[in-house]
Amino acid sequence: MQDAVRAKSDAAELDPITLEVIRHGLVSITNQIDANIKRTAFSPYIYEYNDFAVGLVGPDGQLIAQCTGGMPPFVADSVGMAVRDGLSIYGKERLHHGDVLLCNHAAVQGQHLNNTVMYTPIYAGKDRATLIGFFAINVHWIEIGGIQTNSTDIFMEGLQLRSIKLWSKGEPIEEVYRIIENNTRMPNELMGDIAAQLAGCLLGRDLTADVADKYGVATFSGAVKRILDQSEAAARAFIRAMPDGDYRYDTWLDNDRSGSDEPVPIKVKVAVKGDELTVDFSEIAAQAKGSINSGYYGGGQTIARVAFKYLMGAGEMANEGTFRPIKLILPLGKLISADPTAPMFMYPTPFPTVIDAVIKALERALPARVPGGHFGTHSGVRFYGRRTDGSFFDTHDSGHGGWGACATHDGAGPFRTMAHGDTRIIPLELQEALMPFRLDEFSLREDSAGAGKFRGGLGFRKRYRILRACLLGTNLDRTKFPPWGVQGGKEARPGRFMLTKRGATTEQNVEKESAYRLEPGDVVCVETGGGGGYGPPAERALEAIQRDLDAGYITPAAAAQDYGVQIGSDGRVRRQS
Amino acid sequence: MAFAVAVDIGGTFTDLVAYDHDTHRVVYSKSPTTYANFVDGIVDCFDKVKLDPARANFVNHGTTLVINALIQRKGAKAALVTTTGFRDVLEIARGNRPDPFDLHYRRDDPLIPRPLRFEVSERIGSEGEIVTPLDVTALTPLAATLKERGIEAVAIFFMNSYANPAHEEQAAAALRSLLPGVYITCSTEITREWYEYERTSTVAANAYVGPQVTTYIRRLQQDFASKGFTGALHMMGSNGGLLSVERSCRQPVSLVESGPIGGCIGAGAYAEALGLKNVIAFDMGGTTAKCALVEDGRFSVDSIYYAGGYVKGFPIKSSVINIVEVGSGGGSIAWLDPQNRLSVGPQSAGSTPGPACYGNGGAEPTVTDANLVLGRLNPERFLGGEMRLDIAAASAAVRRIAAPLGYAGADGTNRMADGIIALATVIMAGAIKTISIEHGRDPREFVLFCYGGGGPLHASALARELSIPTVIIPPEPGNFSAVGMLLADARLDVSKTFTGRLNDTTVASLKNVFAEMEQEAGALLARDFGADEVLFERFGEMRYVGQRHNIKVPLPDTADPAAIRSAFDRDYKRRYGHSDARANAEFQALHLSSFSRLRRPELKWLPRAQRGGDIPPQRRPVSFGAAGLLETTVYDRTALAPGFAGQGPALIEEYGSTTLIWPDDRFEVGALGELRIHCGRD
Repeated sequence: MQDAVRAKSDAAELDPITLEVIRHGLVSITNQIDANIKRTAFSPYIYEYNDFAVGLVGPDGQLIAQCTGGMPPFVADSVGMAVRDGLSIYGKERLHHGDVLLCNHAAVQGQHLNNTVMYTPIYAGKDRATLIGFFAINVHWIEIGGIQTNSTDIFMEGLQLRSIKLWSKGEPIEEVYRIIENNTRMPNELMGDIAAQLAGCLLGRDLTADVADKYGVATFSGAVKRILDQSEAAARAFIRAMPDGDYRYDTWLDNDRSGSDEPVPIKVKVAVKGDELTVDFSEIAAQAKGSINSGYYGGGQTIARVAFKYLMGAGEMANEGTFRPIKLILPLGKLISADPTAPMFMYPTPFPTVIDAVIKALERALPARVPGGHFGTHSGVRFYGRRTDGSFFDTHDSGHGGWGACATHDGAGPFRTMAHGDTRIIPLELQEALMPFRLDEFSLREDSAGAGKFRGGLGFRKRYRILRACLLGTNLDRTKFPPWGVQGGKEARPGRFMLTKRGATTEQNVEKESAYRLEPGDVVCVETGGGGGYGPPAERALEAIQRDLDAGYITPAAAAQDYGVQIGSDGRVRRQS
Repeated sequence: MAFAVAVDIGGTFTDLVAYDHDTHRVVYSKSPTTYANFVDGIVDCFDKVKLDPARANFVNHGTTLVINALIQRKGAKAALVTTTGFRDVLEIARGNRPDPFDLHYRRDDPLIPRPLRFEVSERIGSEGEIVTPLDVTALTPLAATLKERGIEAVAIFFMNSYANPAHEEQAAAALRSLLPGVYITCSTEITREWYEYERTSTVAANAYVGPQVTTYIRRLQQDFASKGFTGALHMMGSNGGLLSVERSCRQPVSLVESGPIGGCIGAGAYAEALGLKNVIAFDMGGTTAKCALVEDGRFSVDSIYYAGGYVKGFPIKSSVINIVEVGSGGGSIAWLDPQNRLSVGPQSAGSTPGPACYGNGGAEPTVTDANLVLGRLNPERFLGGEMRLDIAAASAAVRRIAAPLGYAGADGTNRMADGIIALATVIMAGAIKTISIEHGRDPREFVLFCYGGGGPLHASALARELSIPTVIIPPEPGNFSAVGMLLADARLDVSKTFTGRLNDTTVASLKNVFAEMEQEAGALLARDFGADEVLFERFGEMRYVGQRHNIKVPLPDTADPAAIRSAFDRDYKRRYGHSDARANAEFQALHLSSFSRLRRPELKWLPRAQRGGDIPPQRRPVSFGAAGLLETTVYDRTALAPGFAGQGPALIEEYGSTTLIWPDDRFEVGALGELRIHCGRD
């Protein structure tokens, strides 16, 4: 209480320059640790996929600053949730300098159990007596046991750790290490990643304490409060600029991955009133049988915040203050507020669609910001089996698709989904060296984009020629409900996964396989969806249509159909009279 | 025939440094960069100091030509010839969004648009085996199409060519004979490492700038020759070494960071001469600040570079000194966002209109304006008095952002100016922390080596921010890039994909591969530079089995697997804080750096002639943060002889730069004319 009073009075007299110096310092620490983790981690999930986030959390678990390149689903406060759980269990009195805690619990994070937050308290000031916050890193642990994909509850998905101390007062707890090491199929990689995560936490802790000590704990705490207040003010100003109103958008996922073919409703309402924005998910599907569920915080709240952050733009920090004006209406027991016992292994499956639906709901409120829908599905292809030497191989190759067109330019891509970030394609030459296939083609998929004044981004086409027998698994969605256009723009083509057996002349659909046996000579053709268009196609500039035609981004047939243009014998397009 | 010359063409000025081997005389010359014809500026530099190009035995030349052509998209009309099915590799890139929350993110357009990307039938497998032979007959009609389209340069990339370059070489040879006068380049001539996007992007960039660089170099040679120059022209490579003109024309992408590299070389040379083990080279110019680590006289070299930055730009696989750059320079603008939050940069006032104090219409406050307000710059002596600075304009600019933050009056303007510098310092310190933390180093164990127009002004504050005790300012900090180029070695970097677990068999074949690479590189250096003595440094790109991220490990002993393993573990631990004794290690690639030292001046000859004590120190009030306005001694650097020692607060002025000594600092002039500042603690 006294601390709070002191912080308040300090905040009042904190000079704006010291405030900025502290703000820049804190953001740069999270980015430095981000770079550190990326270079120290063992598993590609971290250094290629960037499946992690670094955050600084206040003494009561409030999110203060995060690295700028973190994975979107982590950025909405995954680290703060874990810290608050630890505080509720241990209280400040049972946490000490040198403690390091772990949490991946479904009741806390509400995501698949791989996502494990590690955090350590930061003490500063005289005798390091004052708790000024926590340094926290959420990392996708590569393997934590369980049966994974086909699970029917969370207990089949691996080891749960609920605010467990990994280190106590600067000493490792070897029993906890042993539990972890013996509950994973990939102990080398996981223990390597944990070492990187630990080193990042400790270095981040020390760098943060240095800042607090340099300016004094009271000034530091006052600055943190001001940083959050200013972010809140920026968020409120952004919302205030939107017209008040009730907005909504309804779409569906293809199915819930339990074998049913029933579409899953994704119905989203957004209310803007003054400087507050309420996301109402009360009409969204109930908890699913398949493992595509997520919890209230890790699911619904995360999605609402991620969508808001996309709308607000990359410039503003993501912290507790930014998210204060966002209210959530989300009854428990829904797809994105599932019971902690629900299966969650494929928890992000609905994320791209739900995030995009929240953004689309605001089409009328933010006409210049809301783009066409993106392809919006993980579009995964998995080849696995045994090599001739008996060793097991497994590759999860990701689909990148088109993003929606904007008010000022054509859509971009192919990129991964809105639930991904700086996630890179695995180089083809590397894939060919490791996997039993050769690629016949890797190209942009013509006509996949939604037409419009600005067209969407293109998906890609990738043809795998199988060289040795293996099994195929696929994960494609949005085939029945394609990426939408905005402001009169047209919808894009959804993805399509087809197989041509060796010697066959016809294709067969392989969009819902878990273990389809492929033989040498088979060809799997993966086509990913495009992005939706922006504005009426009739308003598209002729030069732009010509350019797309010359480049082969659209075919003459599509140009005629989507844009109503004629192509002369000179190859020039003109509007039909 | 006794002069060695270095020429650095920068955005505003062309700098020349010449060294007479016989008399040890060093001359410096500066002239405005002549964009219409760069050679005019160089010739003007020669004329200004009455130097006859005929007396130069070599000219080392650094240029921003390549990076400018790539970023401003002023290169040639280039085409790509590639494997059937893969023409979009260049456009799809790696499919990542480095700025995750930018809803409207898009990458810069590829250098070669889709209609100019052509496919030919051929395929090489991942083991280097030929799956489909190259369709040579298709090249004749293709060449006709390229000619018809007015193509000036052709990039050739084939899938898996890293494992077997035969098809690329065949296609290049065929197209060269079919298209005389067209610039032809193929990916494996530049790098033999895998990753199709990176190789395609590299060869596309090479083609894009090839014709321009070739023309530029040929013209430079002709113009020099017409002035009687008979020596050798060397180009400054991004790897920190000199390249022959032939190699530069063939691989112009190796010049991508040709400009800023000189300073790093200079820092390395001084570190070696002064016996400094760990040095951070810090360069602050008009728009950005750059830093690099120099350890044991060597800077670290990356094998990938992102032209236009990682967020929107494209990769070039080429050896480039590892430099971290932030948008914080003298011209960086201080601004407030709608919440009145202060930021500095990355927007810059550039050279037009420039900072407000230049009086060319700039109204936004910049770092230079803040320094002027605080009394740290002499308005009469900027660039040796060639430009007069307007204090009133600087104060007015700073007041624009002071008022909204509640800073009123003259004191408020000073506090605001101080705040701008403080924030710029934090941003620059962040860059230094990033580069050291990324390498697992602690900046406190380094000496801060500062140059560039703004480096010496901010050095001491930066060192305090980083808890670095010692700062070194070399002679001629404003010309330091050219100085460094004068000190460069000839250098050749070659690399090759080499995969296999670390064991006796692999090490045996590794030895052979290195032997071949060394023979080739040695022969090239002997041919291009007349090198009789060549030094080699071998590196392995290694990782633990199961990882996909490599580290570059120096391999002094390539014969002993155990020694290689311990070198790898040690480097891994140093960089990452942990190593794994249980995991197997494996190779991904081999790199060979070959050096040959050219005749270069001893460092002690580099400072301008001392004018001795004939310039008495002046005094003027300078503002030092919380300490307020202090009466400060102002020295002319040319008056300070080696051995001179002094105390802060002080300013040391010279042409092109000013060094600020804080109140608790001590400084002395070293034997090589360098300023050594011992930073006091706040």
